[in-house]
Amino acid sequence: MEDERVSVGKVIIVKENLFNRPEMAEAWAGFKAGRWSETVDVRDFIQSNYNPYYGDESFLAGPTARTAGLWKRVSELIQEEVRSQTVKVDLERFSGIDNFAPGYIDRDQEVIVGLQTDEPLKRIMNPYGGFRMLKSSLEAYGLQMDPELEEHFNEYRKTHNQGVFDAYTKEMRTVRSVGLLTGLPDAYGRGRIIGDYRRVALYGVDFLKEMRQKDKENLTGPAVEDIIRLREEMSEQIRALEAMKSMAAKYGYDIGRPARNAQEAVQWLYFAYLAAVKENNGAAMSLGRNTAFLDIYLERDLRRGLLDEAAAQELIDQLVVKLRLVRHLRTPEYDDLFAGDPTWVTEAIGGMGEDGRPLVTKTAYRFLHTLDNLGTSPEPNMTVLWSKDLPRPFKEYCAAMSIKTASIQYESDDLMRPIYGDDYAIACCVSAMRVGKDMQFFGARANLAKALLYAINGGFDEIKRDKENRPVHVLPGIALNTQEVLDYDTVMAAFKQVMDQLAELYVNTMNTIHYMHDKYAYEAGQMALHDPQVHRYIAFGLAGLSIAADSLSAIKYAEVKPVRDEHGIAVDFTVEGTFPRYGNDDDRVDSIAIEINEYFMDALRKHQTYRNAEPTLSLLTITSNVVYGKKTGATPDGRKKGEPFAPGANPMNGADKMGALASLNSVAKLPYRRVNQDGISNTFTIVPAALGKNFPERVTNLTNILDGYFRRGAFHLNVNVLDRQLLVEAMEHPEKHPNLTIRVSGYAVRFNRLKREHQLDVINRTFHEAV
Amino acid sequence: MRGFVHSIETMGLVDGPGTRTVFFLQGCPLRCAYCHNPDTQKRMGGEELTPEQVLHIVERYRPYYGEEGGVTFSGGEPLLQGEFLAASLQILKREGYNTCVDTSGYGDPRYYPAILPHVDTLLLDVKAFDSAAFAQLTTVNGFDTYLAFLNSLEENGFQGQIWVRHVMVPGLTDSEEFMRQLVELIRPIWARVDRIEILPYHTAGVKKYERLGIPYRLEGVEPMDKGRAKELEIYANKVFAESLRAQRQAQAEQKQEQPRREAAASELEKSALLSVLRGLPLFADLAEEDVEDILKLVTLADIKEGEYVFKTGDPPEFMYLIYQGQMKIFINTLDGEEQIFYIYRDGDFVGGLNLLVETPYRYIGQALTDCKVVVISKAAFDKYFYDSPVVLRSVLVKSFERIRWAEELIQRLATSNASMKTAGLLLKLAKRIGVETAEGIRLELSMSREELGNFSGLRRETITRKLGEFKELGYIDLLGSKVIVIKDLEALESYVL
Repeated sequence: MEDERVSVGKVIIVKENLFNRPEMAEAWAGFKAGRWSETVDVRDFIQSNYNPYYGDESFLAGPTARTAGLWKRVSELIQEEVRSQTVKVDLERFSGIDNFAPGYIDRDQEVIVGLQTDEPLKRIMNPYGGFRMLKSSLEAYGLQMDPELEEHFNEYRKTHNQGVFDAYTKEMRTVRSVGLLTGLPDAYGRGRIIGDYRRVALYGVDFLKEMRQKDKENLTGPAVEDIIRLREEMSEQIRALEAMKSMAAKYGYDIGRPARNAQEAVQWLYFAYLAAVKENNGAAMSLGRNTAFLDIYLERDLRRGLLDEAAAQELIDQLVVKLRLVRHLRTPEYDDLFAGDPTWVTEAIGGMGEDGRPLVTKTAYRFLHTLDNLGTSPEPNMTVLWSKDLPRPFKEYCAAMSIKTASIQYESDDLMRPIYGDDYAIACCVSAMRVGKDMQFFGARANLAKALLYAINGGFDEIKRDKENRPVHVLPGIALNTQEVLDYDTVMAAFKQVMDQLAELYVNTMNTIHYMHDKYAYEAGQMALHDPQVHRYIAFGLAGLSIAADSLSAIKYAEVKPVRDEHGIAVDFTVEGTFPRYGNDDDRVDSIAIEINEYFMDALRKHQTYRNAEPTLSLLTITSNVVYGKKTGATPDGRKKGEPFAPGANPMNGADKMGALASLNSVAKLPYRRVNQDGISNTFTIVPAALGKNFPERVTNLTNILDGYFRRGAFHLNVNVLDRQLLVEAMEHPEKHPNLTIRVSGYAVRFNRLKREHQLDVINRTFHEAV
Repeated sequence: MRGFVHSIETMGLVDGPGTRTVFFLQGCPLRCAYCHNPDTQKRMGGEELTPEQVLHIVERYRPYYGEEGGVTFSGGEPLLQGEFLAASLQILKREGYNTCVDTSGYGDPRYYPAILPHVDTLLLDVKAFDSAAFAQLTTVNGFDTYLAFLNSLEENGFQGQIWVRHVMVPGLTDSEEFMRQLVELIRPIWARVDRIEILPYHTAGVKKYERLGIPYRLEGVEPMDKGRAKELEIYANKVFAESLRAQRQAQAEQKQEQPRREAAASELEKSALLSVLRGLPLFADLAEEDVEDILKLVTLADIKEGEYVFKTGDPPEFMYLIYQGQMKIFINTLDGEEQIFYIYRDGDFVGGLNLLVETPYRYIGQALTDCKVVVISKAAFDKYFYDSPVVLRSVLVKSFERIRWAEELIQRLATSNASMKTAGLLLKLAKRIGVETAEGIRLELSMSREELGNFSGLRRETITRKLGEFKELGYIDLLGSKVIVIKDLEALESYVL
């Protein structure tokens, strides 16, 4: 489909009645034709062939004996990895779609096959993002790669990381080292790209390759850098498709042709995803939005009598077993930012179609049901696309599963559908993109609390000292504030100056990173499963919004006096009087949070982006709120130096005095469209007894809370229903709760995989209790 | 006019039905020994709000309320700020909010007539069961005032339901004897009581006393054991239900004895459709050759779950015999909700009266499960049934049954509370689809919660809540979303006439 948002060159799309091809006719028997059977268009296939399901969960089946046996084996392996605190790594070869021999867990019990390497949980060395990162990851576990491999690689190849540092300016390096910008993907894979893995199942790799060859021939326009790069990328993509086919062939499957039944559809889709996680180690490697698609195949086989419900569930269960095994090799520093070894195999479930029919199918239930059949687990990252119009039984089933497992996050389909249509998915935690049509340049986050301190401290860092022990001057041209009592207008004006400079630096840094990533660590396999020309987002982020808003509120409504050191740097603050805090549904302070956000987004928009990507902004910290806290001095809201930030867009711990819904309403005010359009993460934890007197009541109450929150215009909610005491016990006696899963900022994690400081941070967060 | 509001809890999920915004008002004359909000006892303080401001605040939370949620006034003793409470409730009711007042029944009686008609649920605290105990616990000689409040609810226009609450302190009221006293004490309001809750005493509020520098009178008393409190709660509810039943039975005996329902005869024989038809009471007195003749005039329709059999306004051209499966008969009410009248299953028929008196269908018939239905045309009906006494008698019996159902439904809707309606529904289902098992009477439902609610005149969220409560009380067990096991039939029977 033509997309006016794509600006470089033009590709003419070829159409043909594909039902005339025998391999398609066979695979597609019983499917209703449409635009999808003339050219690549998975959305049209779904819309033409799926059946919404309005009933409840009573049809679901338990695990088969094979699944139960397989999962028992896998869970032992996973527990063993956690217990031994070591990892297995293939030290003899580097990442690549077709670089590893086939691997199995227990061949007789596997209905869906394929592993990243030749053994379960054996991790891949991916040097293309950054070689040093790879080396230090290995060192952290006392491992060493094949010396010849190391020598040759460094002799002949350059990495993304080297490219970035060749082009970084001094300012960029400084903001990075003081922690004004943190978590930049300049030494590891950027991730956040979602291949349309369904295409492999629906069309087969041969056809996709044929189409991409035609796309390349049909790409017109002058041979300028953008078009040359696109042609080179298309050639890479064609080779990646060939590698994908060869990799699957080693498992005995011909994914050159389309899938003919449900087992093949699940298997083909998984091979396509597997290619992505063999080739790349991006922070977040989402699966996409697959339940309605797979449902069409499952229901066709159920009708044909090839499957019964138990066998249909088995396919989904076994796919999920495989997704739970995905691993990447990380450094300990990486774990500080993204604790608990997450992979963000995010699957978007539900939502409404543009024609008003829910995209809820029986397979949406089957996917969530894996949390019962296999037990709770952080991965895949189950993301329910919530709409007020979803069928009530589905809403209640999700709420019930949340209460039982604390493994689901919710995002507003009613906010996203008008922007992205009805075939978008979620990359990582909260980033929406149309599957196969959009991609994102991921870009970590800027520390807004620190930025506010720069506005008070004349652009000097409040912690970092140079070799002569003098404060480091990071941003020029900001006046050092010498007021005894801070004046709101003065501070706000300086803050805006800081945000202007920060925005420019941030855009330039991101442009540099993504230029180099495209050049040295291009994701050919995933991009082969996109349209020939994609729309690109460049996603910026903010951390510490609640601190900045509360601090400005304190300056405005109370009396804030800085305590300054000998250099005139404010190292602490005294606050007299009361002030409204973000999280109480109080417009006096909530409006400050909105103003800062909008200002920063406007400032970002002023700058030219790499490949004309559309800038977006998120409020999402993952678990890096702890690291940010460590690197940031005391703030005017009363937070002490080193104390953690609130995660994502959450109000600060203990700030809310009006109960949870006031807190939710404050977050719901933050503007999604055009401002925080890369997502607004909010985590909500409530103790079971406060949610209702018994299980059915809790389900009703949680359903209504979700409905109300999203009706208020909110974007995202992580839901945890658990007692603080349970977490304290799990921290002291991890062996008693090996599978305890909780939602943190944008993902779920096994509690026992968090470090103690992250565990304490979670325990100290607000638990909503009964009054 | 302004009220003194100590604080607001925007997510009250255990203070009345559903999700509620709770306003804690300042001031309470009872200094209960266990009070966990001693900071609300002072008459003044907190934030001053007008009733309009209250409305303005709750508007922000309305999207969270669902079907049952709304606004709760607690405290402190909210009745103490009578004028403010009355004005606030009136505004809220005008705007369609569900209201709840959490009270110890100790306020300014002048305002009761202005307050009580606007309260949907009264959370009524029962402090103690006699004058001396009341005075000791609360430091106020107010037991008579409290009783007067109970007795005046009706005359002050209260039309809502009551949740009775009692805080149980170890050594004070933790026995079955005290539970019987509790039930007896609330006799004047039995008809309005929906549930009795026993709240185990806890010590979470003790720190506030230290902070406020007030001596704590229950120093050294251990928290109430939650398990024991739950046992006594179950006991109290059972005693209550039994007492209520006895009272109602006595009332019913005064009425005329109702005629006994006659069971329609049934015969089963032969094979295929012939045997199907033969097996139905309607065909009992037709000659063999007539039945074979009829075979040519009727059809056996396979109707899929969810398909309509007839709709409002359909002409009286066919009558329907349900051979297998279940069908619901309902109308859509003016406010867009479904009101289910009957659930028909194997052997039932519908439409006979329509054919007899030639009136169009008034209701809607929809298959709840896959059904096999025998469709009899008007021609066949007129030819073979019109003169058959058995048929006419069956139609009459059926019509009479329906009138009885309708009467019962009206009575249930008008006079029963949610517990009674839910118990009545479960008993009716037990009779129709219940299967005896070792665990109890097993009900495999083909209806959703929505439909269950409509069938019993309750909202979906209410029926869900009541089923949860009944499970807690040990009356039933819930297996997944579609199976209910009745474990204590007697307890359920106590709730209904």
